Amino acid sequence: MNSVKEELAPHVQDINRALGNKVSEQEIERELSSYLNVYRVSLDTAKRSIVKKHGGNPATLAMGVSKTLRELMPGEQSVNLLARIVSVNEKDVTVEGGSKRILYGILGDPTTTIPFTAWEPLSVPLAKGDVVRVQNAYTKEYRGQVQVNFGSRTAVAKEAPTALPEYKPGVGQPYVGKPTPVRVVDLREGGSNVAVTARILSVERREVEVDGAPKAVFSGVLADETGKTQFSAWKDFTLEADEVLRIEGAYVKSWRGIPQISFDERATITRLKPDLLPSSERLNVSPRMWIEDLADRGGAADVTVRGILIDLREGSGLVYRCPECRRVLRKGACQLHGEVKGEPDLRVKAVLDDGSGALTAVFDRELTEALLDKTLDICIASAKEAMSTEIVRDELADLLVAQPIEARGNVTSDDYGLMMIVETAKLLKVDVQAEAREMLEGLEGSA
Amino acid sequence: MIREVAWRLFASEYNDANLEAEGTGERPPSYIVTPLGAKVNRVFVVGVITDVENVGTDGQPMWRARVSDPTGTFHVYAGQYQPEAAATLSKLKPPVFGAIVGKSRIYSPQPGTTYTSIRPETIKAVDETVRDFWILEACRSLRKRLDAMGEAQKMDPLTKEGLVKIGVKEAIADGIVQAMNHYGRVDLSRYTAMLAEGLRYLLPEYREPIAPGEPVVEAAAPAKEEPPREPDESEAKVLEIIASLDKDGKGAPWEGILENATSKGVSKDSLEESINTLLDKGLIYEPILGRMKKI
Repeated sequence: MNSVKEELAPHVQDINRALGNKVSEQEIERELSSYLNVYRVSLDTAKRSIVKKHGGNPATLAMGVSKTLRELMPGEQSVNLLARIVSVNEKDVTVEGGSKRILYGILGDPTTTIPFTAWEPLSVPLAKGDVVRVQNAYTKEYRGQVQVNFGSRTAVAKEAPTALPEYKPGVGQPYVGKPTPVRVVDLREGGSNVAVTARILSVERREVEVDGAPKAVFSGVLADETGKTQFSAWKDFTLEADEVLRIEGAYVKSWRGIPQISFDERATITRLKPDLLPSSERLNVSPRMWIEDLADRGGAADVTVRGILIDLREGSGLVYRCPECRRVLRKGACQLHGEVKGEPDLRVKAVLDDGSGALTAVFDRELTEALLDKTLDICIASAKEAMSTEIVRDELADLLVAQPIEARGNVTSDDYGLMMIVETAKLLKVDVQAEAREMLEGLEGSA
Repeated sequence: MIREVAWRLFASEYNDANLEAEGTGERPPSYIVTPLGAKVNRVFVVGVITDVENVGTDGQPMWRARVSDPTGTFHVYAGQYQPEAAATLSKLKPPVFGAIVGKSRIYSPQPGTTYTSIRPETIKAVDETVRDFWILEACRSLRKRLDAMGEAQKMDPLTKEGLVKIGVKEAIADGIVQAMNHYGRVDLSRYTAMLAEGLRYLLPEYREPIAPGEPVVEAAAPAKEEPPREPDESEAKVLEIIASLDKDGKGAPWEGILENATSKGVSKDSLEESINTLLDKGLIYEPILGRMKKI
């Protein structure tokens, strides 16, 4: 009997909390035991019924199970958390035609950090550093990561800051086992305990704020023969440009849609002979990549892709942007700020396909002007004359569609696929005959 | 949903295909799997548009274009659901170099006979350099498949994992396994000859004249009849039934069509076949599940 009592104790406390301690613990215990043993209803139903009976709100009950953030899986229906608000921001989103203010940010507990979104107004204001008890939250997968959502059934209450130890970023579980050697080109998001041998191409010290405290992070670009990547070192390893290192115990995380390598006090740095790798100058090139490999990798910084612009997307050509948020206006209105006087801009959003995969390539005004060999003002004038902005789009389509091009830039990845923010681009001139001859010789040689 | 890649492949390989496959997900994409394992949902083709013809009616035009490459001919159909492509086609003056991005289509008017075609998304007139570059890309793509298929034919048992292990991309490995299961061991020499033919096409030293007796890939290819566009007898009957049963404009219900067809001596099997063909030809469509409507 004692063990049953012990088992029920947390639920009794839970009911008690939901009722604001206005009913005695003995009374609740008696009722709960009666529901469970006499009426044989489920624990959930029993708890809900008792809270309702005494005039409380069952939604504030901890119906689900308590978990640490690391234990969360996508698709949890009802879960309870004790977490610290690592960051919190507001934003307006359009939901079912209406505008709505939501909160989003990052939750942390001693096990990990995880993004969250609050879709409904909360009863308490949230601030960075608050420790909160969250009941009936649910989870989803968003961009390959678990995300916690607060919905209408979710209750959020503040707890004392001492209820949870501080979360220290970068300090995870120590790695077990030998690090896996990886070439830079093979770094994939989510990789952990990897080892790379690379040359530091650039490094700079930045101050960032972590949990309200300033922290130094050393970031830059490193490279081996296969490619280059951005990195962040969360400890001062006195890194210097040009040196060749072996970094063991690093992990790979995406930052703004591009995977990069990170390392902290868990990592071991070994300095190697500088002539082990080609010079910085030779490493600091934009590697040519196939789009299928970029898709596997989840984006990359400063790569070159050769392919064909097979289609222009909507919103290419002469567009008007909201003066507030720079969003492209649709029918003269901004989705956030309504009808505004738009500012003209030129851009191209095109599908670049290299036969292995496709990405959306975005060209800014400067590049678009160069492609058109026309300034924005001339485009505005010709659109006025034609009484339609379509004329600019049509001209771009004439010029670009079906053309082989080489484009260089950063490639980011999200649910909609890959996107390249094009840095430089040129129409590709290929010596078709020379390449055909070479392939034919190879074919006859092997036959 | 990730955008489907646009395959560059020669007409002769495309027209050899008679295997359909479906993808996964909420709205599963459909693919045509070629004998070399290309799993094609979208194609990018550059060739000579040799003729454009309205095979529909004046009120409901359906434009058919024939696009030839060094190995054979693609058939491109654009109707009212491809307004931009149809408008472009109707204005083209063949012969002209054309670049076409479109979706793969396959239909089978009777068992054992299949026709592949392309439903265009965009069509653009281009110049010869764009076409030549396309041939080079199609050759590179074919070369990759030939190499992978060559490896696959050596494997016993053939598995996707085994192919991935030797460096074949997962999507391609998947197509190869499906192709091997359906087509068996295909004769690679035919495709090697196709590759050589494509490459020689680009090189002036091979251009003229073709020595008599030299094998030409086109001649080696099995002769493909042009897809019949006119509905056959039972299709015509079914079309009539669908039109007569579509009283409320929402389409004819399946039960009604079946009942009517049976009474007119069309068996259920041949009815289903006719409906599929009519769907493929774009003469009818399914506005909601279980209802057919004449276009």
